[in-house]
Amino acid sequence: MVAKTDKKDAVIGVVLVTHGTFGETLLKAAETVMGPQENCLAVGVDVNKGVDETLESVRNAIHSLEQGKGVLALTDLFGGSPTTMSLSLMKSENLEVITGVNLPMVVAAIQARSMKLPELAEKVMTAGQQGIKVAGAMLRKKAKK
Amino acid sequence: MTLVRIDNRLIHGQIIETWLPYTGAKNVVVANDELAHDILQQEIMSLAIPQAVKSSFVTVDEVPAIITKLFSNPGEHDSIILFSSCADARRAFDSGFDFHVLNIGNVHYSPGKRQVSPSVALSDEDETCLRHLNRKGVELDFRCVPNDPVQVRF
Repeated sequence: MVAKTDKKDAVIGVVLVTHGTFGETLLKAAETVMGPQENCLAVGVDVNKGVDETLESVRNAIHSLEQGKGVLALTDLFGGSPTTMSLSLMKSENLEVITGVNLPMVVAAIQARSMKLPELAEKVMTAGQQGIKVAGAMLRKKAKK
Repeated sequence: MTLVRIDNRLIHGQIIETWLPYTGAKNVVVANDELAHDILQQEIMSLAIPQAVKSSFVTVDEVPAIITKLFSNPGEHDSIILFSSCADARRAFDSGFDFHVLNIGNVHYSPGKRQVSPSVALSDEDETCLRHLNRKGVELDFRCVPNDPVQVRF
């Protein structure tokens, strides 16, 4: 029974893997909107450091976030090293990787972490895409009405 | 549920991303004298509100009548009512908008104000307004976002 309760309360871990301090700052911005969060981490990839060392810190972050429901890695640039490093961990970890991280994606990930990993990944991707608007054009269109 | 909130940014990210889903609100009523006459600013603020949620911008004096009308339909009680200052919330209450809980979300710091939480700084006038409301039976809820711990500092 106890184990069941634990599982119910478990949430998907969220790790931001990015170039430099982008992820850390992005997480701070998300916390400004959503309040302080647990089970979220940011790992910055320093290109001057060895690949093995960086990969190890990503792996450690994933392990510390894993509660049995998996971990969502949000990375910045498709094709960049934070993304490729994260992808290389998919074999050994219960991990999903989404590229092109923006604030709407982090907010969406935080909002729905009790979902299952594939569903959360879908939701986060959609939120990221829908968060991009030519808002000026929307406003002009609205003002015309 | 109904949320009555003081937030000097009125509609912004915290409202859209946390309070709207938390309250399940179908209406957002912004009570602000300046905004009630500024159509462009209204359109900017309501741009990000989901289509299923109605927004309206009214003057503080219009609040009691508008809320009475809105709440005459039981389905419309899920609403967020926003004021930008303690004085506006008090003015609406004193003129007949009867609420029982007041959420104090964001009241920005300026010199001479007392910081009571990371997002709330109160002037003497603000404190007078809140104490007045509290004496009339209004519970004060100092939360910036829904999952902030409820801490009563009054």
